[in-house]
Amino acid sequence: MGTPVKDVTIPDSALRSLILQKHCDYIASYGTKKDDYEYCITEYLRMSGMYWGLTVMDMMGQLDRMNKDEVIQFIQQCQHECGGIGASVGHDPHLLYTLSAVQILTLYDATDTINVDKVVDYVKNLQQDDGSFYGDKWGEVDTRFSFCAVACLALLKRLDAIDIEHAVEFVLTCMNFDGGFGCRPGSESHSGQIYCCVGMLAIVGQLHHINADLLGWWLCERQLPSGGLNGRPEKLPDVCYSWWVLASLKIIGKIHWIDKAKLTKFILACQDDETGGFADRPGDMVDPFHTLFGIAGLSLLGEDKIKPVNPVFCMPEEVIRGNGIQLELL
Amino acid sequence: MPGDKLLSKWHGRLKVKTTAEQQEAKRKEREKKLKLYNAGTKAAFKKRENGEYDEEGLKITGEILAVNPDFYTLWNFRKEIFVNFLQTRGTDEVQKIMENELYFLESCLKVNPKSYGTWHHRTFIMENMPKPDWDRELQLCNTFLDYDERNFHCWDYRRFVVMMAEVSLDDELGFTTQKITTNFSNYSSWHYRSKLLPMLHPDPTQPAWVQEDVILKGKKKQQISCIHASRKTKRITVLLTRPIMVGRGNSLILSIHGKSVAGQWKTPTGSSSFSVLWIKDLTESIPEEKEVSVSVTLIPDIDKDTQFSQGLQIDADQEEAWVMADFKSGSRFSNELSAATSSTLETELESIKELHGVEPDNKWVLLTMFSLMMAIDRTHSMYKLEIRECIDQLIKVDLKREAYYRDTKSKFILQSILETQDKNAREMSLKDEGLTALYHTEWMLLLTSIDLSNNALSTVKSLSNLRCLKCLCLDNNHLKDLDGLQHCHQLCELSVKINDLNSAEDLYILENNKCLVKINVYGNPLCRYKDHTTKIKKNIPSLLSIDDNKCTSAPS
Ligand SMILES: [Zn+2]
Repeated sequence: MGTPVKDVTIPDSALRSLILQKHCDYIASYGTKKDDYEYCITEYLRMSGMYWGLTVMDMMGQLDRMNKDEVIQFIQQCQHECGGIGASVGHDPHLLYTLSAVQILTLYDATDTINVDKVVDYVKNLQQDDGSFYGDKWGEVDTRFSFCAVACLALLKRLDAIDIEHAVEFVLTCMNFDGGFGCRPGSESHSGQIYCCVGMLAIVGQLHHINADLLGWWLCERQLPSGGLNGRPEKLPDVCYSWWVLASLKIIGKIHWIDKAKLTKFILACQDDETGGFADRPGDMVDPFHTLFGIAGLSLLGEDKIKPVNPVFCMPEEVIRGNGIQLELL
Repeated sequence: MPGDKLLSKWHGRLKVKTTAEQQEAKRKEREKKLKLYNAGTKAAFKKRENGEYDEEGLKITGEILAVNPDFYTLWNFRKEIFVNFLQTRGTDEVQKIMENELYFLESCLKVNPKSYGTWHHRTFIMENMPKPDWDRELQLCNTFLDYDERNFHCWDYRRFVVMMAEVSLDDELGFTTQKITTNFSNYSSWHYRSKLLPMLHPDPTQPAWVQEDVILKGKKKQQISCIHASRKTKRITVLLTRPIMVGRGNSLILSIHGKSVAGQWKTPTGSSSFSVLWIKDLTESIPEEKEVSVSVTLIPDIDKDTQFSQGLQIDADQEEAWVMADFKSGSRFSNELSAATSSTLETELESIKELHGVEPDNKWVLLTMFSLMMAIDRTHSMYKLEIRECIDQLIKVDLKREAYYRDTKSKFILQSILETQDKNAREMSLKDEGLTALYHTEWMLLLTSIDLSNNALSTVKSLSNLRCLKCLCLDNNHLKDLDGLQHCHQLCELSVKINDLNSAEDLYILENNKCLVKINVYGNPLCRYKDHTTKIKKNIPSLLSIDDNKCTSAPS
């Protein structure tokens, strides 16, 4: 009845301590190679890339190394007439990148540099009658977008603009027998999606809908012998999934259900001591995305060289509190 | 934000050592590729800017999307081209172009089967095509699920196709059966099945740990479980079966002698959140030495007709009074099973026990036994010992998740004790139970005394629900703080000997517990400071005794 466990082995040569400064240097130099192949072909997610890089720099205490004015100017150029924000200049507006932009502006305490009313209208207009949200005008529905919408509006203190009760109802129709959530009603549970739904419910203060014991069990079952966490049953462990599972557990008050020492060891083993940065798994190539989630995960695990992270917004706790946002976790 | 699947490029890229020449060769190759890529992107953006919606636009964007399917703006441009075709060209022609688009998408999906953008584009095409062939789409799903049976994008697309094509659910059930036969542990198939069988009838072919959760999904009916009223504290406390937020979707009306009483409802901790416990502090006293009738009505906004009330009487000689609803044994913590289901589960328990005999250390067998026993034995009395043994064995075979199993055991123990306890009891002993967590404390609302000594608790936050608590013993636990107890306004005596309280300041949270006269912190790290009693007394002036020593009068 048991299933063969897919997992990785952590090599003896893997790093066991945090090489913080190398990660800072890696992120600081990432954006400077503007004609780099990888940098260019990932332009379609530039805004999120910037959020990952800037947030992780802030958590490591070196945000001042980044060019604030350039970033803000870029965001301004990415806002469209409809209020939505695209991934890069000339790219279409989308909720994913609108949230990333608002997150960056919140880090810099600079939301007033864009047209906030228009952002609010954009988000509001993407809500459907059933409470769900389109990601953009083309009509893809996904619980990730429900999270984007409420997270964005919460940071802008404009949650009143949408129909929260309906938004919650839709998210609840995506709940499964295992206590988790999928993309749409009927979709299989997936830890990225669970993070979005749990985070969404935390923001609107309705975590009581969650069966914390049932979901917490599914989440802690994601831990594999290597210590890493996977995103779904029978999948390989990954630093980014480690974050989504860990943050979800934190939000529902069950973070103690995983073996923290083993997970710490797994995340540390995903560092690259040549280049700095974190990869998805030990021995793979690093990228800014896994670097943020590696650092954020270590923060939740109590690493004191990193600023405490807010598990819902994946931003420094001090920024969230400074914004007057107080979330009740379970 | 989990844009993770947008990042297929950043997953599973093994780092390989390369020589300087190899690196240089790669750089050159990438430079060439990038030039083409950038030129293509530029051309596509230019065409779009000029409003040129034509085949050339499809060709240029197609070349880029084939290598980079996450470039969402280009999919949008393609959609605009198709919208334009639908308006300007003949049906047959559009049908033909869209059929070609489906071929193109299929080839993209073969390279990148987990691209959100590609699957959504396929949905868009199918929804807009003059003559969509849904059978072909179902075939496509079969192919992709054969290739990767866990691809949730494809399962989601299948759900869409099944809905549009009105495929019978029986056929779909057959499909999952066939999938499960080839790979029993395919989680995605089991999931899909669980959605096809939304009724609460458990399917005997499903693994039992899945079944229990399906069974327990049913929601409890809203009900007022308890009302407690106290003359002394001028406080009314209401316990519901389901959490509400007063003022958001529900109104709670308190009446004394038939007259509604103004004032704010609060949760035990004062937070504005959903709660099963609601408390109202009266501004006026409840008249002394007279019979008083109190009633509480819950009115849901959406359906005012479903309101219901509960009342109680405080006799002339009573300081406090309460009414606790009657519960059928076993109904508070689990759902009722039909006789048929019960017997199915019992048969299954017998066979799993046999399996357990053969494989005593198999975690899944143990988990299945555990959930079956929990589901069958609703009062947790029949299998009391076996359930505990089962959990202890799980801890041994799956040590990583020890904390989960210990909490689960705590929950089980608390449920079984609450099930057997007199509903009107005011005292409870949970000494030496190995508790790591507290569950269901709302059902301890009436307790005036509780002994939780010799457990392994690290937090007592949920004791804030014990509104009547006077005496509390927490000796021999792992407490680093007393957060929660500040809400137990009636608390007089607190013993927290041998815990992990580090400094006298950890107790200051109790400074407003006006009734607290006795505290014992013996054996905590904070006792290493000689002045700890002085400090505690200074900050909690109501205290008369600290560590069994009478307090000298407070230093003025
Ligand atoms: Zn990852």
